[in-house]
Amino acid sequence: MSILNRLRLHSHLDDAAIAALWTESTLAGRRAAHPHLGACTACRTRFTVFSESLEDLRSDAAAEADALFPADRLAAQQAQILRRIEASERPARVIAFPRFPSPLTSRAPYASRWIAAAAAAGLIVGVGVGQVMDFRHVGTAAVPSRSQARLAGHPQPPADRATASMASTNPGGDEAFLSALDASLSRPSVPELRAIDEFTPRAGEQPR
Amino acid sequence: MTGAQAAGLPGRDADGAAASAVKAMQAEGRLAEARERYAELVGRHQRRAVRIALHYMRDAAEADEAVQDAFVKAYSHLDSFREELPFEVWFTRILINGCLDRIKARTRRARWLAPMPDGPGGQQDFAERTAGKGPSPEEQLLARERRVELTRALAKLPERQRSVFMLSHYEGCTSREVSAMTGLNESTVRVHLFRAIRKLRILLVETTAGKSSMEKRRVNP
Repeated sequence: MSILNRLRLHSHLDDAAIAALWTESTLAGRRAAHPHLGACTACRTRFTVFSESLEDLRSDAAAEADALFPADRLAAQQAQILRRIEASERPARVIAFPRFPSPLTSRAPYASRWIAAAAAAGLIVGVGVGQVMDFRHVGTAAVPSRSQARLAGHPQPPADRATASMASTNPGGDEAFLSALDASLSRPSVPELRAIDEFTPRAGEQPR
Repeated sequence: MTGAQAAGLPGRDADGAAASAVKAMQAEGRLAEARERYAELVGRHQRRAVRIALHYMRDAAEADEAVQDAFVKAYSHLDSFREELPFEVWFTRILINGCLDRIKARTRRARWLAPMPDGPGGQQDFAERTAGKGPSPEEQLLARERRVELTRALAKLPERQRSVFMLSHYEGCTSREVSAMTGLNESTVRVHLFRAIRKLRILLVETTAGKSSMEKRRVNP
């Protein structure tokens, strides 16, 4: 045995050497084997104390974990793991768009529907009447009245249908036709009353 | 006892066989059977996984979530599991990576959010503080003090040293297994463990010395 080995064998193990010895034995999974440990009681005791303190640390840590995770909590955890796995395997669920039996925005659907229909109908009627009134206005503006025609010195148009048909056959006499139309509208169409109408003075013909 | 253990198969072989069977069932579309078989694996590794996660996270709820995530992830990535590697090692690596990710996220959150003040019970909630059939209050107090000291000492270790110490000492893994779990060389594992042990011893001795000197001062001011 060399002197160096003898010195190593007889010198006490320091903390680092004990830690190294413990590391080797732990990682290799076997008992610590050092020639000095077998020979020196003091170092063996120190190594034993060191190993025991680390063993205490281990048992404390294990006890803490076991206290925080008792068997029922572990069982619940396992069930949760399996539920999560099952959920991950299930195909994605398509959630239908929510449908409500009645619209959420209106509480009186029938009343509002009637109101809307009435408003639409009123609008249509209004537009239609407006159009008709407009045409009449255009027609009366274009056709001069009988009195205006008289004042302008036009001959008195005949007021019967024959005259009107005659005027229609004569496309050149538009003015006469329109005057006849005006006269037929302003005079009574009943022949028995026409004589009385002839005698009745007009407001426009009265001298001012 | 699981079927494989009852048949006399060693734990690791049984794990490997179970993992391969689950993988095959997944491939064949027999999902309910695969889940049932996987439950065996979960039951076998759950307690160990919880301990590891708790050492990393130092919070029961977060450790619980980390373990759940790791098992779900392992199941969904079982097709990448190689039979030549023990399931335990493969799974522990997934778990450790998940824990480290969570710690990173927690650190980021802590950087931005103000911490909540601790209640009268410290970190424990009411359910954990209620009395039970356990050890006496004095024993609990002493154990708690020791745990606090250990936690502080462990927290002072660098992350790699802490991981190596925990896996090799607490979980009884060999240097080769720790190497496979952490991705470090075997020799590096040895060095880290040695340094961790030395540092822990110094830290715990310092704490004990500090306490005894405080007690002396209290007795003889």
